[in-house]
Formats: sequence, structure tokens, C-alpha cells
Amino acid sequence: MGEMTALDDWNIACLRLEDYLRAHRVRNREHLVRLTLSLLDQAHSLQTMAPNRAPLDVTMELAMTRTEEWFSRLADDTASPDAQLAARGRAVWFASGLHREWPSAFLDPHPPAELLAAVRSASLQAGPSLEFTSMARAAVDYGPMEDLAHETWQQFSWGHVLRAFVIWVIIFFAAYGAWLAFFPR
Amino acid sequence: MKFRRAADLSNEAASLRQALFLATGGGITIAGTWLLADQFRSTGITPVEYALLTLFVVLFGQIAFGFSIALWGFVVRLLGEPFQIMETLENGECESPGTTAVVMPVYNEDPARIFRALENMLVSLRETGRSETFDFFILSDSNQPDNWIDEECAWASLCSRLRAYGRVFYRKRRVSLHGKSGNIADFCRRWGRRYRYLVILDADSVMTGDTLVRLSRAMDANPRVGLIQTAPRIVRGKSFFQRLIQFSTHSLGPVFSAGANFWHLSAANYWGHNAIIRLQPFMEHCVLPELPGRESAARHILSHDTVEAALMHQAGYQVWFAYDEPGSYEEGPPNLTESLKRDRRWAQGNLQHFWFLLAPRTPFANRIHMFFGLMAYLSAPLLVLFVALSAVDFYGKQQYAIFSEQIGGIADSWWTSLYLLALTIVLLFASKVFGLLHTLPRARHFGGVVALVASSAIEALCSVLMAPILLWFYSKFVVLTILGLRVQWKTQNRDDSAIHLGQALREYGVLPVLAIVLGSCAWYWTPALTLWLSPILLGWLLAVPFVMLTSSERAGEWLRRRRLLLIPEELETPEVLKHLDEPPPELARPESLSNIPHYGILLAMLAPYANSVHTALLRRSRARTQHKEEYLEALSTRLLSGGPDALDRREMMALLWNADALAALHRRLWRAREDELHPWWRYAMHHYYEAYSPRR
Repeated sequence: MGEMTALDDWNIACLRLEDYLRAHRVRNREHLVRLTLSLLDQAHSLQTMAPNRAPLDVTMELAMTRTEEWFSRLADDTASPDAQLAARGRAVWFASGLHREWPSAFLDPHPPAELLAAVRSASLQAGPSLEFTSMARAAVDYGPMEDLAHETWQQFSWGHVLRAFVIWVIIFFAAYGAWLAFFPR
Repeated sequence: MKFRRAADLSNEAASLRQALFLATGGGITIAGTWLLADQFRSTGITPVEYALLTLFVVLFGQIAFGFSIALWGFVVRLLGEPFQIMETLENGECESPGTTAVVMPVYNEDPARIFRALENMLVSLRETGRSETFDFFILSDSNQPDNWIDEECAWASLCSRLRAYGRVFYRKRRVSLHGKSGNIADFCRRWGRRYRYLVILDADSVMTGDTLVRLSRAMDANPRVGLIQTAPRIVRGKSFFQRLIQFSTHSLGPVFSAGANFWHLSAANYWGHNAIIRLQPFMEHCVLPELPGRESAARHILSHDTVEAALMHQAGYQVWFAYDEPGSYEEGPPNLTESLKRDRRWAQGNLQHFWFLLAPRTPFANRIHMFFGLMAYLSAPLLVLFVALSAVDFYGKQQYAIFSEQIGGIADSWWTSLYLLALTIVLLFASKVFGLLHTLPRARHFGGVVALVASSAIEALCSVLMAPILLWFYSKFVVLTILGLRVQWKTQNRDDSAIHLGQALREYGVLPVLAIVLGSCAWYWTPALTLWLSPILLGWLLAVPFVMLTSSERAGEWLRRRRLLLIPEELETPEVLKHLDEPPPELARPESLSNIPHYGILLAMLAPYANSVHTALLRRSRARTQHKEEYLEALSTRLLSGGPDALDRREMMALLWNADALAALHRRLWRAREDELHPWWRYAMHHYYEAYSPRR
């Protein structure tokens, strides 16, 4: 039972690993199998040292660490690998169709010089280098209407309007009552 | 003298033309007002009639000045226009051509359409051999994750496919402050100094490479020109409504454009897109001011373009209208509802221009632009008021006529009314006749003479039916804007232009009811008035079927097959407009994924490509606090266990803006057991594997 569970776990890890590699457009069957086996072998060794960890977890972490290092080096081998560099390298790998041009190069520890040049010449930038300019709002003189409006806004309140309305309603009805009182029909 | 430089334009020539234009419009207004006053005089002018006369001057003046533009445009089309800014290109080559940034601000528009258009423009520009001085920018304010991710992937692939790295850029704004004008201002602050000119496009704009180069050269040749606006042709219409509008702009537009250029020459208006701007004065003088107002939202200028043109002109730079420049295109709204939604925004914006009308330093020509823009909407409630007062006056006169012995005098005034009505009809339809006469020599580009005349008749009939609908909605927009209230529209499915019965009744159902009630009242109290009101009543009565019919793509196609409402671009599609409906290869979504909701989120979190493009474009957060990391970690956990619906849009955007959180989420997702994930993830991942990484 225990052996069957372990086998199932490794099968799940193997399938996920294949999906991950295919998601990187590794279409070359031979290359895919070779990479899968190599990574699974290494994952097996790692899992032996940490038996509490699930095979899926160990395998995928290893695969992702390897790809991140590889893409980092592809983008810039002078800097220490990091997620941002890896993102840049991976983005160019896909966007430039390099996976089609070099179908067996993925995770190759010694990628071809042309591939390196192609990745490094492509710049994924949101824009050219910044040249900030401070822009001040145009000063516009709106004339006397602006002063009038400001005065109105300063003095205006719905409370005043309501008060005036109530007063005038009272005056109206008082006058109407007086009219009826003094000039009955 | 040959017009070789914009600076050659003398003040006298500009003043003479403005005088001619104003005299024509003003003269007709005076004549019309005289006729109405003459009618009123027969029975003595009452206070209501004084009010009617005042309103009449404003309303009839608008018709008269519209006619004046069409008339002078027609004259110019017959005799030729010596003052055209693009004529100055004959000066030869500029030794140091200016660098130009072509920017396209986008906000959740279809990424496939945006990037196809960009690709076509870039290819067209390269064919001119002058592309090295142009850079393209997509300035995204999209706040839908699907659009955002699609835009990024399409951009990266386009750069690669066309070898355009460092030539085409994509910038996503974190805070979408002040809409499109804020988006452009943000660009100017970041990169404005790097470029001499700025070409502004809309998300549905397309311009040929040749036009881009010519505009840039025209700016090189005329250093005192601050802005050149082209007259974009509305194209690619499918629904009846779109085809109607595009035919109208193709047949009537040239006469009106020439007429507009006739009177304003170097003081043209700016429409906000399909225009080239000189950046240095734009950045120095055209930063939008704040309006007087108590609330910050009310202080922001909505219709920025007209104000920017005024500020540019005020700063001493010329603003020209390259009305005959081909190769500038845009698309129209698919139906009347979408068109009204746009009008609602424009109405709010144009009413704000009231402040600039009274500002002491606003140039005279810009005051006229603003006045016309304001009156385009304000005239609707004024017309309603005019009709209401007319009804009161009419009723009074009817009573008077019954008891008066001076029935002969009333009868005479009827003839005057008929003259006035005839004059109004002539003024309204003359522009259509001018347009038709101008287009007739090129009738073969519109499907032939018979098709052109029939199309013009359809266009005229539809405009008669549509005017009362606009009258109602424009009045509503103005009144609600003045009261500070918002007009509510339920969002409709933009993929489908058709307006179905339920929606039509909901949005336009009040109009036939109003027509029946008003018509019955008029018939009961003043039967003769019903005849005068009949054009309005008929438009309202037919509003629902009219809106439904015009929204139909089938009706549009039916007309096209019969060569009706044809435009030249439908007979021979320019290269730059081809394949705009076909998504670029990078955006072609596999069929198995076409129905998955939150597709962009799936790509951003799971797909190595989309995830890496997205994170590569994000700035690394410098301020990493434990609280923030815990918050993002909690969001990630909720997203994985609860699916995308477990987060609201603000929370989703918080995750999508954080490169570290996204990278971590990507890793967690690939390492997660299926039973740890929400069913949506299992379903979406299964389809993703099948689509993008099929097992053999």
C-alpha cells in the first residue's frame, strides 16, 4: 500500500513536471524525456534526504529553481540569478520564438552563443530611459464669473435655502389666510 | 501668393474669412428673427413672444451658422483652398527631422484590435523608409486583468515578431488619474522631453505610415505650428448605425471640414486624437488648469482637447486642420445607445467650457469653437423650452382668433410662419445637398450615382428620425449635468451591437409614451399645433423600432449588399485597415479555453510566458513590509482555495501589481496538489495543459 502510494505520488510529480516543461514549449520528445528523467532522478535523491516532503513538491521546486537559474544566466551571466532576471530571460525566450529556433537548448548548461546574443539584444522595457519633466498647470484667469461663483459657493448652503423656503411658505399661507379673513367670498 | 509656410498667413486674410463666415450666419439669423418678429407683430408682441424671440435667435443662429460652414465649405470645394497646411510640405526636406512618439491610450479595449492596428501602422511606416524617427507607445489604463495580461503578451510578441524592441513600448499606469488626459500627461512627464512631436491616437484609430511622416514633416516645415488635427474617416462599420454614420461623414464631412477650415484657418480645434502636437509648447502651456469648483471632481476638465487647442493658440502657436489628409481613420459606435453614452460624456465636458467662454484671455476663434460645442447640447433643452412656449403662445392665439374679428391678420401671419419653416428646412437640408453635389463626381466610389442618391436619402430620413431622440437625451444630459446628477446606463455586451426589444424598451420606451400623451394633448387643445409637432412626435413614436433596426449588423450587411451607404474604403480596403478583425497569433485563444472566465488571471498565474512578461514589466517593490507580505500571502491563499471569485477586483489588482507575490504564486500553483486547489483551478489548468502542452 505504502509503495503504491509512493508510486502514485511520483507519477503525479512526473505528469506535472512534463506539463511544466511542455508549458515551456519543449516540443522535442527526446529532449523532453531526457529532461524529465534527469530532473526526476535529482528529485528522487533530494526526497531521500527529506522523506517528509511530497515528491510533487520536491520535483517542481527543483524544476523551477533550475529553470530560474537557467533563464537568469541566459539574460545576464554576470549577475547573480534572481527572479526578475529570470522573468526577463523567460519572456524573451517565448516572445522571440527562441524555443522554436533552439528546440533542444532548454536547460542546456552551455547554451549556444547565438541564443545568448538573441536574448540579451531584446529589451523588454516599458519605455525608453526616463527623462522627467515637471509640468505646471496653465494659469487661467476665468474673469469676474469665477469671483462671483466663489462668492456664491462660500455663501451658499442648503440650510439657508431650506430656511428661506419655509419662511416664504409661512408668509404665503399667512397672506392667503389674511386675504380670506378680510375678503371673504 | 503661394502658401508655402503657415507663417505666410496674414491676419487680414484670417479676419476677412471670419467676417464673411459670421456675416453669413449672422445675416441669416437676423432675417429669420425678423420673419418671426413680423409674425408676432400682427397681434402685438406678448411677453411670451419676447422670450420666444430670444430663444429663436440662439436656436436659429445655430442652424444658420451650420449652414454658413457648409456654404463656405462648398464654395471652397468648388474654387479651391489656397490655405492648406499640408501644402507647405513642398518646401522640401528638413535637415533635422523631429522625433515623434505615436501614443495610443487604451482602457479595456479589445487587445487584438489594438495590436493589429499597431502592427499595420508600424508595417506601413516602415514601407515609407522613415520609421527610424518614430516610437510607438501603448499607454494602458486597463483595469480588467484579462485585458492587461493580453495586452502585455501581445506587445512582447509583436516586438519580437516585427523586431521592434526599443521602438514599441508598453506602459501600464498604476493609478489611472484623470482618464485619457492624465494618461497623456503622465507620458509627457516621463518621456516628453525625448520627442519633438506627439501623435495621439484613440484605441480605434489607425493612421498610415505616409500620413504619420507627412504630419511630422509639416511640423518640421512650420515651427510656429503647435498642433495639426486630421479629419479621421470613420470606417469598418458593420451595423446599420455605424454604416449610416460613416456614410454621413464621408459624404457630408468634406464640405463641413472645408467650411470649418475656411473660417478658422490657423485657429482650428483639436479633437483629442488623430492629431500631431509639438511637445515642448504643449508641455509648457497646455497642462490643463483646474476649473473653479468646490469639489475636486468638478474641477477636472473632462473635454480636454478643446481647452488644449485654446491654450496652444493662446500661447502664440497655430493650430491647423489638415482636413484633406487621407490615411487617418477611426471607428464609430455600433449603435445609438453607445453613441449616446459617448455624448453623455461630451455633454458634461462641453458644458464645462462655459468657464472658458468668459475667460478674458481665450482667443476669439476658440470662444466660437467652445460656444458651438456647448450649444450642440444646450440647444436641446432650449428647443424643448421653445416648443413649450410656442404651444402656450399658440393656444393663446387660437383662443384669441376664435373671439377676434381680426382673423385675417392671423391668417397673414400663417404665411410668414410658412416662409420661416421653408427657410429653416432649406438651411437644414442645404448642407446635405452641398455634400451630395460635392460627392457626385466621385459617385463610383460610393456605389454609383443611383446608390449615392439613394444612400443620401436614407441618411437624410434617418437623421430626421434620430433628431427627436437626440433632443430628448441631450436635454436629459444637460439638465442632469447642471443638477450634478449622473445618467445611469446599464452596460451592454460590446461584442454584440444588436439592441434587443427588452433593452430598447428599457432605454427608449418612454419616448413613444411621451409622443402619444403630448400628441393627444396637442390634438385636444390646439389641433393645428399637432402638425407642427409631428416631426418630433414621429421620431419619438418610432424610436424603439428605429434603434433596434439601426443596431442590427444584418441590416447593415443587407444594405451593403445592395450597395447602399457604401463608402470608398468598403469598395477598396486600404492595406492599413486589413486584418484588423483577426487576432494576432499570440492572442488567438484555443477553442478549449475560449469559455473560461478569468482567462487573464489563469495566464498570469500559471503560464510561464504570461507570468514572466508580466513580472518582468513590474517594478520591484522597494518597501517590503511584513504586514504587506502577510496581506498578499493571505490573498494568494484565498485565490488558490477559493478561485478568482474569492477576490474582488481591488484585491486581484493588488496581487497583479506585485512581482514577488506573483512569482511566489506561480511557484505555489505548480507545486500544489490538485485537492488543494479550487475546482476552477483544476478545470482551467486541465484545459490549459490540453491547449498549450498536449501530451501525445
